[in-house]
Amino acid sequence: MLAFLIKRVFQALIVMFVISIISFSIQDNLGDPLRELVGQSVSEEERQQLRDKMGLNDPFLVQYIRFAGKALQGDLGTSYFFKEPALQVILRKLPATLELVFGATLIIVSLSVPLGVFAAIKPQHIASKIIMGISTVGISVPVFLTAIGLIYLFSIHLGWMPSYGRGETFKITENWDTALLTADGLHHLILPSVALASIMLPLFIRLIRSEMMEVLQSEYVKFAWAKGISPRRVYFLHALKNTMLPVITVGGVQIGTMVAYTILTETVFQWPGMGFLFLEAVNRVDTPLIVAYLIVVGAIFVITNTIVDLIYGMVNPTVKLVGGKS
Amino acid sequence: MNTAVKTQKAPGRLQQFKSSHFWHSFKQDKVAQVSFGVLIIAVVLALLAPLIAPYNPYDLAQIDIMDSEIPPSWESSGDERFWLGTDIQGRDMWSTILYGTRISLTIGVCAVLLQAFLGIVIGLTAGYLGGRIDSFLMRMADIQLSFSTLMVAIIVLAVFQASFGSELYQELAMLMLILVIGIAEWPQYARTIRASVLAEKEKEYVDAARVIGLPTPRIMFRHILPNTLSPILVISTVQIANAIISEASLSFLGLGMPVSQPSLGSLISSGFEVILSGSWWITVIPGVVLIVIVLVMNLLGDWLRDVLNPKLYKG
Amino acid sequence: MSLLTVNNLEVRFALRQGDVIALRDINFSLQRGERLGVVGESGAGKSVLGFSIINLISRPGYIAQGEVAFEGRNLATLSAEAMRSVRGNRIAMIFQDPMMTLNPVLSIGEQMTECLLAHRKISKEEARNIALQRLKQVQIPSPEHRLDQYPHELSGGMRQRIVIAIALLLDPDLIIADEPTTALDVTIQAEIMSLMLELCETNNVALMLITHDLGVVSEVTQRTMVMYAGRIVESGPTRKIINHAQHPYTQGLINALPQMTTPGQRLNQIRGSMPSLQDVPSGCAFRPRCDFAMPVCEQQIPDLYQAGDCKVACHLLNKKDKEQQS
Repeated sequence: MLAFLIKRVFQALIVMFVISIISFSIQDNLGDPLRELVGQSVSEEERQQLRDKMGLNDPFLVQYIRFAGKALQGDLGTSYFFKEPALQVILRKLPATLELVFGATLIIVSLSVPLGVFAAIKPQHIASKIIMGISTVGISVPVFLTAIGLIYLFSIHLGWMPSYGRGETFKITENWDTALLTADGLHHLILPSVALASIMLPLFIRLIRSEMMEVLQSEYVKFAWAKGISPRRVYFLHALKNTMLPVITVGGVQIGTMVAYTILTETVFQWPGMGFLFLEAVNRVDTPLIVAYLIVVGAIFVITNTIVDLIYGMVNPTVKLVGGKS
Repeated sequence: MNTAVKTQKAPGRLQQFKSSHFWHSFKQDKVAQVSFGVLIIAVVLALLAPLIAPYNPYDLAQIDIMDSEIPPSWESSGDERFWLGTDIQGRDMWSTILYGTRISLTIGVCAVLLQAFLGIVIGLTAGYLGGRIDSFLMRMADIQLSFSTLMVAIIVLAVFQASFGSELYQELAMLMLILVIGIAEWPQYARTIRASVLAEKEKEYVDAARVIGLPTPRIMFRHILPNTLSPILVISTVQIANAIISEASLSFLGLGMPVSQPSLGSLISSGFEVILSGSWWITVIPGVVLIVIVLVMNLLGDWLRDVLNPKLYKG
Repeated sequence: MSLLTVNNLEVRFALRQGDVIALRDINFSLQRGERLGVVGESGAGKSVLGFSIINLISRPGYIAQGEVAFEGRNLATLSAEAMRSVRGNRIAMIFQDPMMTLNPVLSIGEQMTECLLAHRKISKEEARNIALQRLKQVQIPSPEHRLDQYPHELSGGMRQRIVIAIALLLDPDLIIADEPTTALDVTIQAEIMSLMLELCETNNVALMLITHDLGVVSEVTQRTMVMYAGRIVESGPTRKIINHAQHPYTQGLINALPQMTTPGQRLNQIRGSMPSLQDVPSGCAFRPRCDFAMPVCEQQIPDLYQAGDCKVACHLLNKKDKEQQS
């Protein structure tokens, strides 16, 4: 366990280092912090003096170390637009995005496994053919179109669902509010979660089905049948546990895609999360915010990938989480 | 003598194709036939867009702002001149969609060509040479994959847009989209090619080629590559579909094609601004076109995978 | 009453091009404690026969007609639930490749006890004790430790011992072993085979040994059945078959054994190869490879004639018989 954690932390450090370099290069090349600070009215000489004073004329490495040092203390600069620490602005929007991801993940996990397994066990059943047909259409519809379609049908046409925003939220602390604790907030969460899940769900159904069908052909499943154990045990223990190994791996890879899709979903639903904020920051050339977003997203990648690896290790006995010979 | 052999060979090829499993299964699969037909129509329409389109959406002289947001001609307030209506700027939707499809397909195909080129070269190198180079390249592929294409594309394009300013960016948009989508997805090809190469490498003909002293690149390109064509064909179909979705998503976010030169994604994006006021056609019609194109490519991809992968028929 | 009686069994595979017959006119019986060898080249239908007895032919195969009477019950028409109580319990199976037979993600203990728990109302504790006892019987070192291990931690020979232990768990009446030693190292093959022989003898278990190895058959079994292209071509006491093979195919198999060849000479291979099930030749399926083929062989499928202690399906012997009678 310890060896695994050390290895994992080491990898995480490398990834974060790369992200910080990228972030820093962006900050270095994008926009002029001076202009944001002092405006146009200052003379060229004064500008140079200010640049020297701020360390903007220092060598790249010195500037990077200063940037990294500050970043480690949680200082990623001040947002030009919000006039607040960038990290604080991002973190305030984090709960909204996490809730959206949570809602979508709930839908994906609770539906993909039963539907995929059913389609694998009974491939000739009419319901399986319907599931697979809808899934193929599902992976062909971009998230933003699903989102627009949902708004058009349920908000504009039927008027059942709110079309934008997060609704009423419950403040847990000054910078942390949640929509999960109010009925209105949950009501607002439904459509965006469905939209975000819409492309991942069919992807996972198809993946689980094809992996499961392959596993069902294996010798060990045949042997399990020959032992006379119950079909439920054969399908849901012997076959499903092996099916989940590649599915978990793909799940880890898809986390990045999921974050990207939150940007699309949040844009369509004007969901006040990180993705929406990021696009606004890009349009306003608010560099510190862009950098803060990258670093927070990078941290989320690293954390979730570690969790995915841990889960994989728990399911697959050939991966040794415990240190020692392997 | 020589010509006789040649003339015999030509019909032989055709005959061979006609009796193949591939053609046989195509003849029996209605879904594959329809998908292929729809795709061909879409490609032909896109190629011939300048000839078919009644208006040129890039020619400002042909656009009248007074014509904006006219519904399709079958609606009560429609206009005979524009059978699919007009968009916010008063452009004919039919013409704009034809040109938009052309742009979407071009970006999709070019990006995938770039992916395939990078992926094939890297995959062949990794698979054939093995050892340290192999593990390094595959490690790179893993890392690249874990940052999703769309995420990388959004960040790269956002940063470029912010630093170039949107005007210069608009001119370079198409090239940037092709480059970003093309570069970000190489691991898909590289991994598949590598796996096939490892399988092919075991076979005797590769040993034979090495024994008679053929140079390494020649063995790779002339002997191994042709045997990895089926997986390439299968992923290419799906990859083009994915590239088109990525392009549309980026354009929807305002990071892709500009409204003055719209792809299907940017058309949908511009329509979304007015969908609440009832102008549904600007979003819905290009949306349907986009979905249909991507869907038929995915269906063809599924069919190809079933046909070219005999493993599924072991029963 | 025989333990197992197979009558007129016919197995087909439903392919797109139409049905293909994998087994036909299969008739044989097996007594309690008797050991029967089923011999033939790959593709002869030996494995299909083994699986069709426990009604576990993988799709698209199915039993088209015939009867598999086990202790008086016809297994071919038994309900799924009733069949399940026979599998692993009264009839156990041992598969070819121990590397593929055990589920990689479940512990050895889990894979052993689940079989006991499926068929007997006992506690997990008791099941574990029985499992432990069986592991001792198959001479596995430090058996307590093995129960918590996973298949990848064990060698091939060790895994096959565990598969044998699983087969013995519920004191079955019949064990069907499908090429149990083919995938193992030569040195381990003999060990495993003698272990199986010993266990079958001490527990009075009937054994159906499916193999292509005539040497193994002659060491272990009392009776032998030779199969070719989905039919039985010769059956009788093992010693008779080995020493006085009557069917040209059996003779060919025996002559092809390396010990039947003078050192330095070429092996006496049977020319040609087994036909695929899709194009079995008319008449006697072995005819194209047979040195003694006659015109009648092309027109008529030979029946199994009684020839001494043996039964042989060959026109040649039938002719000899008739000549002797007249």
